[in-house]
Amino acid sequence: MSETQAAEEAKGTAPSSNKPPIIRLRGIKKTFWRGKEPVRVLENLDLDVPDGSFEALMGPSGSGKSTILNLVAGLDQPSEGTVEVAGQVISGLSESRLARWRADTIGFIFQSFHLIPVLSAQRNVELPLLLTSLGSSERKKRAQTALRVVGLEDRAGHYPRQLSGGQEQRVAIARAIVNDPRIIVADEPTGDLDRQSADDVLGLLTKLNREFGKTIIMVTHDPAAAERATITRRLDKGQLK
Amino acid sequence: MNLGGVAANNLRRNKLRSALTIAGVAIAILAFVLLRTIVEAWTAQSSDVANDRIVTRHKVTFVLSLPKRYVDEVRGMKEVKIATWANWFGGKDPNHDTDFFQALACDEKTFFEVYDDMRTTPEQLKAFKEDRQGAIVGEKLLKRLGWKVGETVTLTSQIFPGNWEFHIVGTYEALKKAVDPASFLFHWDMLNERMPKAFQDQVGWIVARVGVGSSAVDTSKAIDDKFESSDVQTKSQDERSFQQSFLGMFSAILTALNIVSAVILGIMMLILGNTVAMGVRERTGEYAVLRAIGFLPRHIALLVIFEAGVLGIVGGGVGLGLAYPFINLGMGRFIEENFSNFFPFFRITPESGAISMAIAVGLALCASLPPAVNAYRLHVVEALRRIA
Repeated sequence: MSETQAAEEAKGTAPSSNKPPIIRLRGIKKTFWRGKEPVRVLENLDLDVPDGSFEALMGPSGSGKSTILNLVAGLDQPSEGTVEVAGQVISGLSESRLARWRADTIGFIFQSFHLIPVLSAQRNVELPLLLTSLGSSERKKRAQTALRVVGLEDRAGHYPRQLSGGQEQRVAIARAIVNDPRIIVADEPTGDLDRQSADDVLGLLTKLNREFGKTIIMVTHDPAAAERATITRRLDKGQLK
Repeated sequence: MNLGGVAANNLRRNKLRSALTIAGVAIAILAFVLLRTIVEAWTAQSSDVANDRIVTRHKVTFVLSLPKRYVDEVRGMKEVKIATWANWFGGKDPNHDTDFFQALACDEKTFFEVYDDMRTTPEQLKAFKEDRQGAIVGEKLLKRLGWKVGETVTLTSQIFPGNWEFHIVGTYEALKKAVDPASFLFHWDMLNERMPKAFQDQVGWIVARVGVGSSAVDTSKAIDDKFESSDVQTKSQDERSFQQSFLGMFSAILTALNIVSAVILGIMMLILGNTVAMGVRERTGEYAVLRAIGFLPRHIALLVIFEAGVLGIVGGGVGLGLAYPFINLGMGRFIEENFSNFFPFFRITPESGAISMAIAVGLALCASLPPAVNAYRLHVVEALRRIA
């Protein structure tokens, strides 16, 4: 347990440690290859993320933060070790099973929003639901609900170019939660936002964590963002400090 | 909304690029349809002919003539139902010196029986048979040269000297695409009488229709066998083969047109492929995000293929939409009016339209394959790292 976590638990803002972890990383090693030269990003990393927690991962560039996110989300495979998320050992799953699992379990928020510019906010939010068997009206209903959660129900018909950066990120959050995932993975969600918009987005993430019980794991360089998390972990040279 | 809808919407991202690509596809399809129509119009003369009609000509070349007595011998064969003959006259209207049309000296008694795909009225046919100077003129030629039924016209010939005066007693209507709707037909006897003695009683070619139970191939062989030991040997072919051997002289032009068509389609495919590839390159980040939220590689590849398909459908549709009025109402009418000897029917056929559309979509899909494969192989983590 990290110092920060202990401090948060002492403040009563962290989830109880007796809750089973929703994310378990054991003996994780991750090596990338730069030509013939191996680059070791993660070294024997163990990590437990309790269900319902809001974790911030901080650390310098190249410390392995995004790699952990990618492993947790099943976008990448460890060189060694096991990744268990929401009761499923995902290291070793086939690409198609991983994609289906990801669609059901993980919601993604990116620094640069990555909304499709020719689709309205509502249609952007609907995108993950295209992978389900839901009918058009049900998809629309759920997208509107997600937009209501992020406070943008009145912007459903707007295109990304008609929205501010903060609003775009909120649409991206609505897209992340529309299929009701247990875990939200956020990679620098406030990196492209001004302070006010960043606070709004962080407030929204806090709400998703506290009111909707979503487990959030967020990579950030922003201390103000990390302050909103219930647990903050620092990563350096592939090791949790 | 579905994947197809997302792909169609993607075309709105860079409207100028999409519009230019659609214009490129449309122009390529328009050019392809035009070239195909030329080839079809040219070859229609051999594809839309009577199966039971046999043309017999001099074995060496159709420029040389046959003795007229051969007609009676052909008529006497058990395989032959009826036979007629004709000579090329090479007529011109001195008032329209540059206007080319087919003028034939024919047997007025049997010509329209053998060519039952040229229709005239019984009254006009009777008048034709009874008037030695009578002529039956195709409706299009009559209109083109401003002639009227009942009028006397004078023709000259590049082959037969002098002025030739005819009474236009009627017109005929071409019932098939292959039939020239602008021919000039007059009595062979009139031509024969004015020939020098040594050149009389010669016919250009004989046209026979085979009887029930006989085949065109066997009858052709039987006719040629019959004259094999004569001083003038013959070459008989069913009408389709005869037309094809004539068209064969222009096969190099048709081949060139087909090659140009293929080049145009190749360019169209490159334009499409380039547009789709640029789109894929620009959207690498979005595709990575879609993969991250659960889309499979094949979904991303399908998005790319759908997008190219929409470009092909819209471009092909616009091209065909332009081609129909341009060819069928404008250029085609002009050609049919003025060059009906070569192109009696110059229109886009439904088959051509369907083939062009299928080619537009098919090539669009082919063009999308390399970028679709790249999108399929997208390495999500790498792509996300690039856009982070």
